[in-house]
Amino acid sequence: MRKLTYTAFVAFWACVMTLVVTEALTSASPEEEHALPKYTQAEVAEHALASDCWMAIEGKVYDVSTYVPRHPAPPSVITAWCGKEATEGMRTKGYGPDHSPAGWMLLERFLVGELVE
Amino acid sequence: MHPAIARSIAHTGLWLLLVLPLFLALLQARGPDFADAGAVLNWLGRLTGVAGLTCLLLAAALIIRVPGFDRLFGGLTSLWKIHHRLGAASFLLLLAHPVLLSFAASDVSLSAAVDILFPPGGSVAAFFGWWALIIMMIFLAPSFAFFGQPPYQRWKWVHRLSGVAVVLALVHTLMAGRTFPPPYDWFIWLTLAALAATAIAYRFLFSRRLGRRRYRIADVAHPANNVVELSLEAEGRPLRYRAGQFVYLTPYDRKLATGYAEEHPYTLSSSPTEKHLRVAIKDLGDSSRALQHVTPGSRVRVEGPYGDFFPEHFGRELWIAGGIGITPFLARARHLEATGERADVVLIFAVQDEARALFRAELEALARANKGFVLVFHFFYLEGPLNREFLGRHCPDFAERDAYLCGPVPLMELAAQFLQEGGGDVERIFTEEFALL
Repeated sequence: MRKLTYTAFVAFWACVMTLVVTEALTSASPEEEHALPKYTQAEVAEHALASDCWMAIEGKVYDVSTYVPRHPAPPSVITAWCGKEATEGMRTKGYGPDHSPAGWMLLERFLVGELVE
Repeated sequence: MHPAIARSIAHTGLWLLLVLPLFLALLQARGPDFADAGAVLNWLGRLTGVAGLTCLLLAAALIIRVPGFDRLFGGLTSLWKIHHRLGAASFLLLLAHPVLLSFAASDVSLSAAVDILFPPGGSVAAFFGWWALIIMMIFLAPSFAFFGQPPYQRWKWVHRLSGVAVVLALVHTLMAGRTFPPPYDWFIWLTLAALAATAIAYRFLFSRRLGRRRYRIADVAHPANNVVELSLEAEGRPLRYRAGQFVYLTPYDRKLATGYAEEHPYTLSSSPTEKHLRVAIKDLGDSSRALQHVTPGSRVRVEGPYGDFFPEHFGRELWIAGGIGITPFLARARHLEATGERADVVLIFAVQDEARALFRAELEALARANKGFVLVFHFFYLEGPLNREFLGRHCPDFAERDAYLCGPVPLMELAAQFLQEGGGDVERIFTEEFALL
C-alpha cells in the first residue's frame, strides 16, 4: 500500500507540474485582438442541431458543437438551447444556480463571433 | 442472531454503501461517446470524484469504536484495516480525479486543461478541492510512511487533520459536483456525511465521557524486567469481556514520565471470572516504558472490550505465541483453569531465551493442572527460527487444529506459512496483530 500511494502521490505532482510548465512555455505569445465576425440571431438559429450547435450568450456567439457530448448534464438539457439566445440557460442551468467561473472560462474557448441586431 | 449472519449483514451493508453512489452516478451520468477521448476522461474524472469521496466518508465512519460492533468485522484490528484500505482507495481516486478532468479539457487547449486545475479569477469550489487534497497528502503521509515511520502520538495528531479534509472535500463536491442533479446530490452526500459525523461525535464526545470506565491500579507485578502486569480494581461498573480481548487504557498518574491521559491499546491477561482486570504491558515505546513505573493506587480509565480473536466455541486448538503476544493465550489459559473447562490445546511459546520466557512458572503450573493443555517452549537461541519440523515434532496433528497466532509479524507470517504448507486450512488460522490502532 505504501509504494502504491507514494507512487500515485509523486505521479500526481509530476502531471500537475508538466501541465502548468508546458502551458506557461507555449502560451507566451500574447493573443492578438482581432475583430470578431458578426452574426444575427437568425444566423445563429441555423445551427440548432446537437451536432451543429451555436448559442448566443450575453451578446456573443459560441459554437459549442464539440462540447455538447462532454457536457455533464443529460443531452436534452443543453441541446434544447442550440440555435437560441442561451444566456438564461448559462446563468441558471435551467433550475437556479449559475455556472461556475471555470464553466464560463471554458465557454470562451468556443467563441466564434459577436451578436448583432 | 447468529454471529455469522450478523457478520454477513455488516459486510454487505458496508459494500452497498460503498458502491451505491457510484452505481447511481453510472445511472445518472450519461456514458460517454467512447470514440471521444476527452469525453471518456471527463466521465472517469467525475466517477473517481464520486467514488473517492464515498471511500473517504466511509473511512471516517469506520473510526467508530463501539464495544461489540468491531466483532461484526472480525475485531477492531480488522475494522482498522478496512479503514486503512478505504483511506488508500480514497487517496488514489481523489489524486486521479483532478488530473483526469484536466486531461479531459486538454483537447480543447492546454490552457483549458490548466484552467480546470487553477480556474482563472479563482473558484471557491476549486480552492476547497485543492485544500482537501493537500491536507489529505499531509495527514496520510505518516499513515503510509512516505517519509519514514512517525512516532505514534504525532501520527495520531496529524491524522486529526482528516476531519478538515473531509469537510473541505464535501463542500467542494456540493459546490462543484454536477453528476447528481439537485436535490439528490445533497441527499446522497449528506447521508454519508451524517454517518461519518455520528461516528466522529460518538468516538470523541460520547465515548470519551461515558464509554470509559474508572479503575484504580490495585497491584503492580513484574513478570520480567521489561514487562509489567497491572491489576485493576473497578471503581464503578466493572467491564464485561471475553478472554483474549483488549482495551484502551488511559493512565492518570501525574508521576508518569510520559503518556499522562494518553490512551493505548493493551490486551487483557486476566480471566473474565477474576475480580480484577489484569493487563500485561511490555516496554515497547515511550508510553509503555513509562507505565513500567506507574504508581500503585493511581487511577486509569478503561474503554472496551474490543477484539474478536477467539470464537464462541472451541475445538482442538494450536496456539502460537511470540514474546508479549502470550497475553491473549495467558488470559485463555487462566480462564480454562478458572472454569475447569475441558480443552485440547497445544501452546507453542516462541521466545529468545529462558530469561524472556514470560509467566513461565504460571504457565507450567497451568499445564500441569490441565491435561488438555500442552505447553511447549521454543527458544530461538537453541532452535533458530520456528520451522515446520519443530511444529510437526511437538504438534503432529497441527493441520487438523484451529490455529491462533499472536506475536511479532515475522513470526506470524512464518507460522502461517508452515501451517498452510502442512495442509492447514487458511480459514482456520486466526491472528491478532499489534498494529497502530
